[in-house]
Amino acid sequence: MLEIEEIACSYGKIEALRKVSLKANPNAVTCLLGPNGAGKTTLMMSLAGILKPTHGSIKFEGQNLIGLTPSQIVQRGLALVPENRLVFPALTVRENLMAGAYLRKDKPGIANDIEQQLHRFPRLRERINQLAGTLSGGEQQMLAVGRALMSRPRLLMMDEPSVGLAPKVVAEIFGIIQKLHHEGTTIFLVEQNVHMATKVTQHFYLLQQGRVTFSGTPDQLAGDDLVKRAYLAGQSATA
Amino acid sequence: MLDLLQRTLEGLLEAGPYALIGLGLTISFGVLRRINLAFGATALLAAYVGSWLHVRWGVPALGVWVAVIVITVMVGFYVEWMCFDIADDSVMAMRRQSSVALGLDAREASVLAVSFALWMQIEQVAVNFQPNHLHPFPDLSSKLNFDWGGIDLRPDRILVFLLTSGLIAGLSIWLKHSQLGLGIRALSSSQAAAQVCGLNVLRLRYIGTAVSCVLCGLASCAVLSMDGQVTPMFGMWVLLKGLTCALLGGLGSVRGVLGGAVLLGITEAHAQSLWGPIGRDAATWGLLLLALVVQTRPLKHPFFMQRRFE
Repeated sequence: MLEIEEIACSYGKIEALRKVSLKANPNAVTCLLGPNGAGKTTLMMSLAGILKPTHGSIKFEGQNLIGLTPSQIVQRGLALVPENRLVFPALTVRENLMAGAYLRKDKPGIANDIEQQLHRFPRLRERINQLAGTLSGGEQQMLAVGRALMSRPRLLMMDEPSVGLAPKVVAEIFGIIQKLHHEGTTIFLVEQNVHMATKVTQHFYLLQQGRVTFSGTPDQLAGDDLVKRAYLAGQSATA
Repeated sequence: MLDLLQRTLEGLLEAGPYALIGLGLTISFGVLRRINLAFGATALLAAYVGSWLHVRWGVPALGVWVAVIVITVMVGFYVEWMCFDIADDSVMAMRRQSSVALGLDAREASVLAVSFALWMQIEQVAVNFQPNHLHPFPDLSSKLNFDWGGIDLRPDRILVFLLTSGLIAGLSIWLKHSQLGLGIRALSSSQAAAQVCGLNVLRLRYIGTAVSCVLCGLASCAVLSMDGQVTPMFGMWVLLKGLTCALLGGLGSVRGVLGGAVLLGITEAHAQSLWGPIGRDAATWGLLLLALVVQTRPLKHPFFMQRRFE
């Protein structure tokens, strides 16, 4: 569904991504792991059309995405739930959801989808006319997911949805990811929380210093010494 | 007591054009995230062209109004292009897809400096174009006063107040209920989020600039038609009034700007009555300083600050 081949991306002379290649299969959850500064968010920004890779190709359902604007990429069926949520703080919950469907023209469909998101996230219904900036971190994350789903994406990209959230809320967010997966949504997830990610993911990639250093299933990941040392050892106590 | 009411009502009527100018600056700030210091100079040049068309070619009032609005938009886009596209290299980077919107605030100082330089440049162009001090503008002022039980009000000022109130109401409804209005409010709330959601940020910026310039052009025409003349001080007047209202309103709220405009109009009217024209100017500057010193928001009441552009 999504094929990334040898993409490179840089900020001036600093190379953030060095010939990264990976795939996301349909109706599956693919997770990209990596420490801070590995280039995960740069990759997500490249997929969303905000950054343009200097090399390589990104194909979604066979179509090349390089050079397309963020608007065109949303129209192609990709939606990003960005790191730190990035909701519109001065707009209400309803308006945030409407902004997620900004490129759509079908008013009845939009109204129906808003209702669907409110059904999926009942807490948002309680706060429908509240400013998004006044929501808790977990509620903002739900809103960011709901807003992304409003564009009816075929691929949902989530950039560290658990960051900065309490463990209980993190469990809730991963419950939502699991539910979305069971509903048939294809998800490309960027995470640092390996233990939670293993519960929902079918295929893992590890990104380190701008390069993919591991690709495999959750079982292979659990057996990989490098990953064990880097991630699993420190997190097993908190899992 | 009657005198107090008279001054208050006069100040209230002044608030209409002030609010339009303040809203223009606020929308411009909302979509560009920068204060446009060349806002007043833009209005001055457009007004001078309007005056020239009127005097040199006998263009009637309606034609002059249309010309002033069109020229304000054109010069406004020149400023937008020079100041906010070229000087702000993060915008160019956004076009080249080599920067995320989160980094857009990196060039604030240079943008402000270019904005100031453009103010000087446009004002100089206007003064060279029309070197005299006074320039006639189509005079639509009323020579009659309405007497409402001892209160005298000029019908032209009432008309302008009603016109501007209608425009502001229409603008509020447009911002609140239209697709473009949602886009402008979303962009004003978070440029990075707007980019992520696939909103066409550059297009929305242009639309915001155009709306802002149309409001400024309309307010200029309304004010100048009541005075019947333009002077080189008009540019400074527009910037000062607009900035004061916008800052008093917290830069981002329609209600806030309305509150700021009413406060400014009424304060000026009473200061004029007590201390004459110098007192009026002092009151304006005093309110502007107050807004800056108190980090603005004397009107930061939930009613005014509830939401952006409402």
